[in-house]
Amino acid sequence: MRRDRGRKPKKKICSYCVDKIESVDYKQYEKLKRFVTERGKVLPRRISGNCARHQRQLTRAIKKARIMALLPFTSE
Amino acid sequence: MGYYEIMLIIRPDVEADGHQEVLEDLKAAITKEGGDVSTILDWRKRRLAYEINKHKEGHYYLVYFSGQGTIIPEIEHYFRVTDAVIRYMVVSVEEKDFNAAAEKAAEAASAAEAQAEKQEEAAAAEETAAVEEPEVEIVPEVDEEPEAEGQTEVTEVAEKVEGQAEVEAADEVQTDSKVDE
Ligand SMILES: [Zn+2]
Repeated sequence: MRRDRGRKPKKKICSYCVDKIESVDYKQYEKLKRFVTERGKVLPRRISGNCARHQRQLTRAIKKARIMALLPFTSE
Repeated sequence: MGYYEIMLIIRPDVEADGHQEVLEDLKAAITKEGGDVSTILDWRKRRLAYEINKHKEGHYYLVYFSGQGTIIPEIEHYFRVTDAVIRYMVVSVEEKDFNAAAEKAAEAASAAEAQAEKQEEAAAAEETAAVEEPEVEIVPEVDEEPEAEGQTEVTEVAEKVEGQAEVEAADEVQTDSKVDE
């Protein structure tokens, strides 16, 4: 993946759109791990490249996965 | 009427009989309120991402049921008084995902049945073996992490979070504390 530079970052592709996934599933937490930082924070859209719709679903899915101890809460 | 998915975690020190009991009681609670449990998936014992009541792992189950949303408080009540369950969450799912879970379970069940039949045949070679039907059919999930299936359009309904109130006041997430004994 290329590093963004300047004001117009290169458009990234939403992996959920690519995989034709209609809705993000909190149970697929291994996949969700790709979108959280080491500290457990949700990666921002400009880094993940997700579309707004999937990013919204992703955030919700991560919250559920955390509640069910499938993902850690943010450390610090 | 709606379609719902319950994810629950059973304390790791609870034996298999205890699992059966929890699932039977849960099923009874749902049925009593006019709901219908269609599928129970054994999501197996997993390591918890953080400790819950000092437990480092827990046994996960997924229970799918259809019925009125008014069943949910009943389920919550049941979990609240059940020590074996350390956490649960109820979410609503779309009909297609509900059906997909049932199909998955049916596939796993027929695979298990075929396996059992094979064993039965082998056993029958010596003497007649009877395969007992469990009252609640618990089907082990085939795939650990299927990539593109079982996505659910979920809306939070309820969940219980006990102990540390670490859940940020998430708009659509209703948290509910269990009274610690
Ligand atoms: Zn997308």
